[in-house]
Amino acid sequence: CVCACLSSLTLSLVLLYKDNSLSGENTVSEEMLAEEARKKSKEEEAAAKERAAQRQQLAIEELVQSERNYLRMLQICSVDIRSSLQQLQPPLANLDRLFLYIEDVMEVSSRLLSLLDRRPSGEPQFLQTLCDSFLSLSSDIEAAYKEYLAYYNQISIVENSYKQKEALWNEIVRIIKASAPEVNASSLSFFLVMPVQRIARYPLLLQTIQKHTDTSHPAFKLLEKTALTSIALNCRINEYKRFREVADKYKKTETLTIKDKINRLNPHSIAKKTARFSQQLKHETGIKPKLVDEEFDAFEGFFNILEHGILVLLENVETYLLHLQRFLDCRTEEFDLDMDGEKSPICYKEITTALRQWILPTFEKRMRTLIHKPLCALRDLLVGPRNLIRKRLDKLLDFEMIESKSTLSYDEQAVANTYRTINTLLLNELPRFNGLALQMIWSMLGTFSCMHKDLAADMEQLFQSFAQQLPHSHLHPSAFWEWAESAVLESAKKLQTVCQNVEDTLNAPVVQPLSPSSQRRLKQLTDKHGSGKIYQVASTVVGSRDLDLNLARGELVAILSEADTRGDKRRWLVDAGGRRGYAPSSKLIRYHQAMEDPPPSPHLIVPLDVTGKRRHSYTPESQPMPMRVVRQPYFQVIAAYDFTARGNHEVSLRVGEPVCVLEPYDKRGNREWSLVEAISGQRGYVPSNYLSMKPVEARPPGFVF
Amino acid sequence: MSWIPFKIGQPKKQIVSKTVERDFEREYEKLQKLEDQTKKLHKDMKKSTDADLAMSKAAVKISADLLSNPLCEQDQAFLDSITALDTAMKRMDAFNQEKVNQIQKTVIDPLKKYSGVFPSLNMAVKRREQALQDYKRLQSKVEKYEEKEKNGPAMVKLHQAKEELRPVKEDFEAKNQQLLDEMPKFYQSRIDYFQPSFEALIRAQVVYFTEMYKIFSELTDQIDQGGLTDEQRQRETEAKLTELRALSIVADD
Repeated sequence: CVCACLSSLTLSLVLLYKDNSLSGENTVSEEMLAEEARKKSKEEEAAAKERAAQRQQLAIEELVQSERNYLRMLQICSVDIRSSLQQLQPPLANLDRLFLYIEDVMEVSSRLLSLLDRRPSGEPQFLQTLCDSFLSLSSDIEAAYKEYLAYYNQISIVENSYKQKEALWNEIVRIIKASAPEVNASSLSFFLVMPVQRIARYPLLLQTIQKHTDTSHPAFKLLEKTALTSIALNCRINEYKRFREVADKYKKTETLTIKDKINRLNPHSIAKKTARFSQQLKHETGIKPKLVDEEFDAFEGFFNILEHGILVLLENVETYLLHLQRFLDCRTEEFDLDMDGEKSPICYKEITTALRQWILPTFEKRMRTLIHKPLCALRDLLVGPRNLIRKRLDKLLDFEMIESKSTLSYDEQAVANTYRTINTLLLNELPRFNGLALQMIWSMLGTFSCMHKDLAADMEQLFQSFAQQLPHSHLHPSAFWEWAESAVLESAKKLQTVCQNVEDTLNAPVVQPLSPSSQRRLKQLTDKHGSGKIYQVASTVVGSRDLDLNLARGELVAILSEADTRGDKRRWLVDAGGRRGYAPSSKLIRYHQAMEDPPPSPHLIVPLDVTGKRRHSYTPESQPMPMRVVRQPYFQVIAAYDFTARGNHEVSLRVGEPVCVLEPYDKRGNREWSLVEAISGQRGYVPSNYLSMKPVEARPPGFVF
Repeated sequence: MSWIPFKIGQPKKQIVSKTVERDFEREYEKLQKLEDQTKKLHKDMKKSTDADLAMSKAAVKISADLLSNPLCEQDQAFLDSITALDTAMKRMDAFNQEKVNQIQKTVIDPLKKYSGVFPSLNMAVKRREQALQDYKRLQSKVEKYEEKEKNGPAMVKLHQAKEELRPVKEDFEAKNQQLLDEMPKFYQSRIDYFQPSFEALIRAQVVYFTEMYKIFSELTDQIDQGGLTDEQRQRETEAKLTELRALSIVADD
């Protein structure tokens, strides 16, 4: 006994020493850890910068490489394909029209490339070179592309005329495929639409470089300027296209029917018919002057509804512009799902960049200058006539009072004159005002419609350049939507499976960390019932009978009885931290707790009574071996220590030896001894705390320790 | 005598190699970025379609309010123009609604569903981290016991500690492997998942703008003075305003 105490004392001293030296080490290593952390974050920063630089380099390469490919394609088309087409018999009509402006576009592209080639693209200064080259050529780019784009409709028309003759078209396609076998082209427009696409691509290409360029980069400001220039280019090119469209279309003298109609608007006739509104107004205000001037009332009535119309229109236009601005603000093209190699997201980005960065802004600007601004000016002009009409009414009332008199005083004369003057003025000019205002509004409607047409035309031309690239664009609408919707459904199902997999395998409830309330519950239940009785609810339990409990998934309970009062073993009586009731046993899983501290080693004091009858073994509180397990384990009981039997009623065990527990108590019900059967088949008592549980796979049914 | 509790330190043996850990971190970072971007795109798409719908409704209101104003009733040509505009706006609104419905089905809903996977994934990564911590703790315990002199009780404690360690180690390794397998697969799946959505987005707009072009070309021919540039329009408007300003009744006294 003394020896045992001494040895344990030594052991603890050794530990203490180790502890202190460890803590000394620990202080040093804490510093080292901090230093390491600093180094690590610096490394990470450097790595991130490196990645950004790589991406920037890739984006720059993309711009240069794609320009090269683009020029090559145009050359194949305008040289190889063209010469083959020229040899066709009978000669193709309008062939030259297809290639009218392509030379200029190719020339400016090759000039850009030669400027770029002056420096290797890997050099850090290359970005500067790129921006300078682009900016220096920007006016030439504009000049070349604007003609090409303005003329592109003609190209489509010519190609469509070829498509009408099947044999001819097949021949053309054959030539195309022979000249450019490596490209999946099946029409002339595949090549001829490229400039349309290319000019719209520059903003996105430049913005991508910008995204991966740090603001501290020496060329950053220049890059920004270049990107903005590319957008402005597109705006102006589109504007020019519109200008040419209008000029070309209306070169012939059109019957300007609408213009005539607007100019012939007769405010007088309108006014007479709207007189009733004026009466309504007077009726509402309770004013019924004795002198009723029908003509005036008609004009005033017209003015009233005109005023109302203008104010409502202005409000509606402002609401419209508000929502347009909101739409422009949600930059849906700015996502980065790391899919820049895929066709459809890139196409979407390019289309949306064009829409949001110059096509719609142009529309908005036109809306403001051609409709909103004049409408505001018109509204401001309403004030004058409105005030004058009111003044006239006042004067009218005054006039009515003195009207019947035969002789008027000087002042009364003045009143009469004032009234007459205002009345005459309004009678003359109000209809003119009404008419002009109405004409303005009418013209605005036409402008509004034309703006929408232009917007749609811009988008259509943009879409043309993408039609070839998307895999399913050839499908008819109903077929396309069928495909899209079924693809989406499929994906949703796959996603569901992924979710399920993740949840099933990785989220077994047993390993859940305990919330503070669960920890309290655990302690409470363990203190009361012992840790052997703690179970966890595997899935939500909704009680259906009397005395059934409702339990949440993950809740901890203690088992009070493994059967109900009728002996039904599927219904267990549990303590859920105060509440007691029944729960289905199928939903309860044994909960094993992990222990922070190593369990105290049982001090075994030799039993005083050697006779064998009465067993004393002093053991400190025995606790079942705690384990934290993943799956529902089967516990094999093994001997934790060597035990030498000291009598017939005991059995010797070697450490690690598996045993079968027959009775976890001795003849007197003392749980400090257990009756076991060893491998040898021998049976006998051993101290209970000498036994350990070892988890093994697969739980045999009905096993209860 | 109570036992001095061990300090829970780091195990000496490297449980997870630095490269594996770094790969794990990298994959997880990619997923976290994907989560952020998907959420952002979802939010932006929703706001964008809301604004789109509102814009279209506002356009309808412009023509509808004009049509309901008695102003237009009296001149037939004017009435015809406004009626034509109103019809066009209502048709465009119908197409817009259809476009938005299609986008909702093929883009916005899938985006939301995709985002819904991330909470489970994040939880799984957290659980793996917890499992790793438990593993490290128990591993260091085993190592401490291994360093001590081998006597009876020490052997038993070592044995117990090893027993405790094993299920935790297995748990961690299972979780770790599962995630190392699943994360790249899931990341890769985004391409096939979103491909149809982007095509649908583009197609929906193509349809919409094609209709817009048809409807408004026709309308413009009917109600617009042909052949005007913006400058010309502005000049005409300015001329009318000047005429108006020239009226005496307009001057505000």
